Amino acid sequence: MDDIKVNQNPKLGSMDRPNSYIGRSLPRENAKKHLEGGGQFVDDLVLPRMLHVAFLRSPFAHAEIKSINVEEAKTSLGVFDVYTSKEIDEYCTPWVGTLGHLGEMRSPEQTPLAEKIVRWQGEPIAVVIANNRAQAEDALELIEVDWEEKDAQVDMETALDDNAVIIHPELGSNLFWTRTVNQGDVNQAFETSHAVVETTLDFARHTGVTLESRGIVADWNKAEGKITIYHNGQAPHMMQHIIAKHLEINEGLVRIVSRDVGGSFGIKVHVYPDEMAVAAISKKLGRPIKFIADRLESFTTDIHARCHKISGKLGIDKEGKILAMEINDLSGIGPFSMYPRTSAIETNQVLNLSGAPYVIPNYKAVGTVVFQNKTPMCQYRAVGHPIAVAITEALIDKAANKIDIGLSEIRKKNFIPDNAYPNKTPSGVPLEDLSHQASMDKLLTMMNIQEIEKEKIANLDKNVLSGYGVISMCEVTNPSPLFYGVGGAHISSQDGASIRLEGSGAIHLSSSITEQGQGTEAIMKQIAADQLGVSMDSVRVTLGDTDATPYGGGTWASRGAGIGGEAVLKAARTLKDNILDIAAAIMQTDKNSLDVENNTVIRKNGGEGITLQQLAETVYYRGHELPKGTNPELLATASFLIEGIPFVFTNSAMGCKVSIHQDTGIIKIDKFWAVEDCGTQINPKLVEEQIRGGVIQGIGGALFEECVYDDQGNMQNATMADYLVPMAYEMPDIIVDHVTTNSGRSIIGAKGAGEAGTGGAPAVIMNAINNALNQLGKEVVSQPITPEKILRALGKI
Amino acid sequence: MKAPDFSYFEAQNIEDAIKYKSEDDEAVILAGGQSLLPALNMRLSSPSCLIDISKINNLNEIKIEGDFINIGALATHSDVMNNDLVREKYPCLVDILKMVAHAAIRNKGTHGGSIAYGDPAAELPAFAVAMDAEIVLSGLSGQRIVNAKDFYLGLFETDLKSDEILTAIRYPFLSHNQHLIFDEVCRRHGDYAMAGLMAKVELDQSKINNLDLVYFATGDKPNVAQNTARLVIDNGYDYEKLKKSLASEIDFAGDLNSSSEMKLHLATILINKILNKLER
Repeated sequence: MDDIKVNQNPKLGSMDRPNSYIGRSLPRENAKKHLEGGGQFVDDLVLPRMLHVAFLRSPFAHAEIKSINVEEAKTSLGVFDVYTSKEIDEYCTPWVGTLGHLGEMRSPEQTPLAEKIVRWQGEPIAVVIANNRAQAEDALELIEVDWEEKDAQVDMETALDDNAVIIHPELGSNLFWTRTVNQGDVNQAFETSHAVVETTLDFARHTGVTLESRGIVADWNKAEGKITIYHNGQAPHMMQHIIAKHLEINEGLVRIVSRDVGGSFGIKVHVYPDEMAVAAISKKLGRPIKFIADRLESFTTDIHARCHKISGKLGIDKEGKILAMEINDLSGIGPFSMYPRTSAIETNQVLNLSGAPYVIPNYKAVGTVVFQNKTPMCQYRAVGHPIAVAITEALIDKAANKIDIGLSEIRKKNFIPDNAYPNKTPSGVPLEDLSHQASMDKLLTMMNIQEIEKEKIANLDKNVLSGYGVISMCEVTNPSPLFYGVGGAHISSQDGASIRLEGSGAIHLSSSITEQGQGTEAIMKQIAADQLGVSMDSVRVTLGDTDATPYGGGTWASRGAGIGGEAVLKAARTLKDNILDIAAAIMQTDKNSLDVENNTVIRKNGGEGITLQQLAETVYYRGHELPKGTNPELLATASFLIEGIPFVFTNSAMGCKVSIHQDTGIIKIDKFWAVEDCGTQINPKLVEEQIRGGVIQGIGGALFEECVYDDQGNMQNATMADYLVPMAYEMPDIIVDHVTTNSGRSIIGAKGAGEAGTGGAPAVIMNAINNALNQLGKEVVSQPITPEKILRALGKI
Repeated sequence: MKAPDFSYFEAQNIEDAIKYKSEDDEAVILAGGQSLLPALNMRLSSPSCLIDISKINNLNEIKIEGDFINIGALATHSDVMNNDLVREKYPCLVDILKMVAHAAIRNKGTHGGSIAYGDPAAELPAFAVAMDAEIVLSGLSGQRIVNAKDFYLGLFETDLKSDEILTAIRYPFLSHNQHLIFDEVCRRHGDYAMAGLMAKVELDQSKINNLDLVYFATGDKPNVAQNTARLVIDNGYDYEKLKKSLASEIDFAGDLNSSSEMKLHLATILINKILNKLER
């Protein structure tokens, strides 16, 4: 288990010392708890006097509620009460999903329950409160609604047409947001290009499919005027602010507790109407209220993502140097922009990130985001990346084929050189500390493309089309205040850590970063123990409780290690400094002659030290023994935030090889390779699992996942049997390796690693498939790439 | 997603279960629950009573009876796959069951349940039809045996009467020159197929003497393609001809994962896959 990676960050000291944990694949302690079924998820929570709710949700994509009668439902067995918007709105103010920093966004007010008009299938309109969920569901069947179904605007491509159904008449059109980026002069550059290639790609809506569905228990304590919300979210302090604001409670009297969370992927970082209703009901009734989304609710009300149609154009010179790139992206986000992050970010990332690894002197990108009558769409793992990377890399492959040069060669010709940072994306976003050249070189040594080329030819006889792809990409991680805060969102970009030595000699650490199964707790513990010089088992960690942790942003946008980890490092260094001050006073020696190793303050020159327990006991219980004026502070708190740039970028190179059966259209991913540069790896195994897990979610998007809607806006596959996610059998061998370029923005040097796999896999898989189909002069341009799409491309059906 | 209220009866023997069922039209039989329970939780069905037959002794027995292997209705897919008799006499059934969902489902789902439920996309109904299996139904008036070919009437519709319970399936042994070959095309391992084929082949030396083609995941029930089988015997594999024949013989119904055109194409190439397997 002790596969030591050479730590390439001189700021962190040598790996060859006791308690050097940063950079080691140590087992994560909290995995055992989950294996034993001992996790504490929201649904495990049972509070005295707790009631349960079930929501009546719109069966239509667009309809008017002419009348609603809940009287019979109120008399159903076990029912406490039934509410519609009237009762809930008294306790919860509406919200608007717009921010101020990205140009004009137009989205109307949203309330927990729709009052007159429903705008997507699954939108809640009434809620039954009962002794248990089954009784609440029984009563749902007794609510009488007189519906008047309206025409639905389902297709995003016609949403701006003259005869479109206008979803919010007060806005005058279905346009939510649009942005144009223009650098240089693309038109002139295309005119002078040796060759220009074009393509248009389609990405189906899909969703996050967390193992644990959304859940909340809200508990209003009237006597204290305090609400405690047990919530399986990613950003407790953001929720604290939201609840305080919309339930009109003093923010200091809102406590959000997020214990174990079974996966999030960005799904659980948004404000959901049903969850707001639950908080409002608890405040109205003064009782704990539980809501756990069932799988049908997850599919129709968890945010969706990725519904994009994007066309692109790339101009190159004779040698294959890129002269210009132009993209035009259309996305449909459902009927509301989500709160508080807005539903503009996915498209914004597409505009920001397309072409990011390359020198592209002329770049134009237009994004248009429209409303439609489908489930709201918002940020999901690798926000926008799959679209940006796929369009860029598809165009580059086309350009390479056009002038007949190698797929890696054309990329190498166009990379921003590793020694040319700081630099900028073609869209103008600052870039630092990246390694596309080194990462691609490493990828190529792993892949053996010559062998693959031979196999391609040999397989043709066997009715199998083989192909491969290689791509490069940038991943947004560790966002600064310029991401949300500058636009007016109360979402912290700062994170804090607090660390203390306790009387027993144990270390307690709390952090504003949260854990959803990715191993946050483990890496925080590693950083703290490493920096303090204590054993791993002496550190205890508290996360996910606004009453018990420092203030901060939580876990999203791959920010845990790079921002939260740095705060832990700084706090641990301060605590160690304090410990050494006290030890020097006790031991009557120079502080610089002391160090901490294995939970003991040692004398570097030898001689007897004192254990941290002895030191703590002296400070806490026998403080009179300390020399006068000794600072007894064994608690240190630190914060960190990224300044001056919007994000710390990570980069990856990925490759894959696929085989396509010509008769069945079945695609097999034979092998997948990823080289990631996320700077310092705190726990290499956890980094690799993030890459692999991310790749698998990317495989989902590329080959399987799609929220299928009919023309009326009814979701057709809202079950785990019909909505296909990759399972063990569909997971290929994923070989992961690294290049390490530390971020200069922090001591720890860590960049994020959580999303590259998801962002890059759809592009490289699509390229590999088209590399295979290209042998017959065919291509596919629509994800998920299903067997039927393959057979249609091949002209078999 | 919680089931509506129902009453529950745990039957100790088959007679009680039959009696109870005959008295209550709205009652349904609960065996492994792998299809029924999700349907209840989705409130797609609201039976008055679940008659749990899973505790009835001996209903999961797998034994030889004359020229048949008799699989008790309650034998789970895992029981069947791991049964020595089945592994020896019916290795093809073991291979088929490997394609049925995943281990957790196979540990609960029963052979009889799958046959009785009659999902047109499931493997076992088509297997039973291809094998000319005898389906043993027990009712108030005793036992009757229905040939699998006559058992499936339409979409989730079978010849099972409201007072009857399927208690066993009897598969005749294959003779030395008979082979059951199957193949299917799925998007993911363990999924319902986009199209699947059970072919019972009788060889005379290396020539096909007799052929039964039974498709699943193509239409409303296991679809027998008699004319197409004849064409294969006479002319071998000819994609265009067989496709035309299948199109006239089966009313292909598209689903979320494959259109009817796709299913027709796959149904055709499955014949080729079967013939290739036969050569091996």
